[in-house]
Amino acid sequence: MSLEKLKETVAKVFHEVDVVIGYKQGFDPLHATPCFITMPEQVDQLIWNPLCVQNLTSYLPFLKKKVGIVVKGCDSRTIIQYMQEGLIKRDNIVIVGLPCTGIISVKKVLHEIDNQPVESITFRDGSNVVVKTVKGQKILSLSDVCPDKCSTCQYPTPLIYDHLIGEPIKSDKPPESVYEDIREFEKKPLKERLEYWEKEFDRCIRCYACRNACPMCICQDSCIAETRDPHWMSQKLSITEKFMFHMIHAVHLAGRCVECGECERVCPMGIPVNKLKKKINLEMKELFGYEPGVNLEDKPPMYTFNVEERKIEEHKL
Amino acid sequence: MSVIAAKELRIIGFLCNWCSYGGADTAGVSRFKQPTDLRIIRVPCSGRVDPLFVVKALLNGADGVLVSGCHPRDCHYSDGNFYARRRLEMLKRLLPFIGIDERRFHYTWISASEGARWQQVITDFTKQIHKLGPLSTKTEVMVES
Amino acid sequence: MAQVGYLPKEKEKAFFETLSKNALVYVPCLEGDTVIFRPFSPERTLCFERSANIPPKTIIFPQSETLFSFDYKKNADDPQKTAIKLETNQEYPDVIIFGARPCDAKGFKIFDRVFMDTDTPDTYYKDRREKTVIVTISCESPSAGCFCTAVGGGPADKEGSDAIITELEKGYFIEPVTEKGKAIIKEPFIEDGSPYQKEAVERQKAANDMLKNPFSTDLTKISPSLFNSDEFWEQVVSKCISCGACTYLCPTCYCFNITDEQAVNKGERIRSWDACMFFHYTLEASGHNPRPTKFQRFKNRVGHKFVYYPEKYNGVIACCGCGRCIRYCPVSVDISEIVGYLRGSGIEPLKGPSKDGANAG
Repeated sequence: MSLEKLKETVAKVFHEVDVVIGYKQGFDPLHATPCFITMPEQVDQLIWNPLCVQNLTSYLPFLKKKVGIVVKGCDSRTIIQYMQEGLIKRDNIVIVGLPCTGIISVKKVLHEIDNQPVESITFRDGSNVVVKTVKGQKILSLSDVCPDKCSTCQYPTPLIYDHLIGEPIKSDKPPESVYEDIREFEKKPLKERLEYWEKEFDRCIRCYACRNACPMCICQDSCIAETRDPHWMSQKLSITEKFMFHMIHAVHLAGRCVECGECERVCPMGIPVNKLKKKINLEMKELFGYEPGVNLEDKPPMYTFNVEERKIEEHKL
Repeated sequence: MSVIAAKELRIIGFLCNWCSYGGADTAGVSRFKQPTDLRIIRVPCSGRVDPLFVVKALLNGADGVLVSGCHPRDCHYSDGNFYARRRLEMLKRLLPFIGIDERRFHYTWISASEGARWQQVITDFTKQIHKLGPLSTKTEVMVES
Repeated sequence: MAQVGYLPKEKEKAFFETLSKNALVYVPCLEGDTVIFRPFSPERTLCFERSANIPPKTIIFPQSETLFSFDYKKNADDPQKTAIKLETNQEYPDVIIFGARPCDAKGFKIFDRVFMDTDTPDTYYKDRREKTVIVTISCESPSAGCFCTAVGGGPADKEGSDAIITELEKGYFIEPVTEKGKAIIKEPFIEDGSPYQKEAVERQKAANDMLKNPFSTDLTKISPSLFNSDEFWEQVVSKCISCGACTYLCPTCYCFNITDEQAVNKGERIRSWDACMFFHYTLEASGHNPRPTKFQRFKNRVGHKFVYYPEKYNGVIACCGCGRCIRYCPVSVDISEIVGYLRGSGIEPLKGPSKDGANAG
């Protein structure tokens, strides 16, 4: 069983590092939570199933020790992106890779069960989710309650690892599907797009959960959204300021966002913040042929330039 | 959104100090007739222009934004405008996604001697903005000047 | 005159429309999958099934408000002299919050001690509070993470409410708690509620029985050695990402910032929410920060709610047990679990609960 193998591997890795970060059961059957293992007895608390939604790599740039880390396919892209930008040292981390067949979106599951407290949840055959609440039992299909990133996942197997738990899995999703939702959105008329974003951002409370959960946002304590000098953003809670914050976040992630989806998952108000970043990623791909977090030798496009840009034409008025 | 003269819209221009600002100056010295909607901000290099300047301007009351720098390969600081080109192209493609017409933002390369070309660009861009009309978003401009 | 009221479900919209004629009525509305308090209007979809994502505290304590605006005017005859004009607007409408939860209402009582029960009451808060009527709806069942009974509350707790509603099969049973609440049941469309009282009480009791306390309710059991141990906080708070979701969504959190924002001659003084989880929370003008790490900031948060506020205000805990901080935390940091450790639940923080998941206390 992959869970047993995971525990064995982590128990071994534990001796090479100061701390191992994995997943353990959270406050209720529907949630997993990160687990920082500093004692061998804790290895037994580890779990591995579709509840393991967090991207654990976001702790890496801030930990000044040797770290062992458990990553899914999407999380491994963050590690590659960190290495491209020189934010972590490869020698300081030991990566335990887990090929992944999909996780759940807690928001979608709650929607299906009318937000009832969950008594138990089991995963059958890798594609069914059986949820038991006080009102009864419901069988959900994993493909219906997984986050959007899983339905278009191109990298189910971690792209970088020291130990792999299980056999590598190949993606069966067509590459064009990744940005299909962006292309659909662009079919809307211009005015409707502005209204859509103004309506979504109206709910934003600038809690900065999306920014802090983002693994690539490492400026957190010095973020320009909070500085008073220069004064980028007002303390007022108008739609302008909220829009501005999300533009700051998206533009600073241009060519760096690995589409781990954490920003959208953690938003307490259910705003689809991932869309903006996916749009920029789509442009990065078209303009510079660049995909974040995939090849170690790549250079992020906003950090470099070409004297001749084949895809950028001079604009005429 | 209040405007100063009855028919002016707010257009912000970020001009690089060495080429484009000089070009605008040349146009002025040569007494070329130009629309007066543009308000110029001088920056040392087009590479100084953070795409977020453009976004902040558009969200806070500007109807159009123009960025101009030295021609690629002729940057006073060698490579500033190469970076600018990448960033501004990314921004130009992002703006329609959030519902702002991409014709409200234009970036170009104008050298210090191209006074006539400056006049052409600024006249055409102002006409374009006037055709698009004032930008109305649900913004609150905190302080009216 | 009837002491209790009953609103049939089919008259719900008409009732709100009538109320809206004289006051701003806030109701929980469904936008996508999010429940948020909005002013009532017929096109909105109302949702009373679960507590709102964000509590109604922003109605009485807005996330950002202008305290006053100022304008420097130069004297035309003597340009060296500038006069300053100050303007403030404290005209607030009458507000009815319909559909808050008992935990949300308890939050306002926590605020009242700090903002109103002093020699220098905060008039911005006070004026709004006095013009607001809070009608809460009792909970039918707990959401994941709820622990109101552990901090002295309950699914039908009346503290802080002007009236409390219990949802029955075909309508809502309304019990006034204060004079303001009594005025509500005199509104049109409200019938006599006495025939429904028994059913309401049964439902409230059933909801109460569903709750489990995650920790002992004896306040004096906070272990000082654990509370002051840096190692303990580093162990339990490692996974926190220091965002601000928990504080912004908390019905009892009230810290704020005051900022002057000025452009040339005109400006405003703005009060906005602060969060003790932010790095800038205790950043001083000199650049020194007494709480630079997230462990210290989290300790401050738990300390404020469970130690400092009760010490100051006769044992009242500044937490209403709504569970939002647990539900919406990106990494599921569980404050009730941490308080459980501090109160000597017998579980060691690192080793976790026993295999069957039971918590002591």
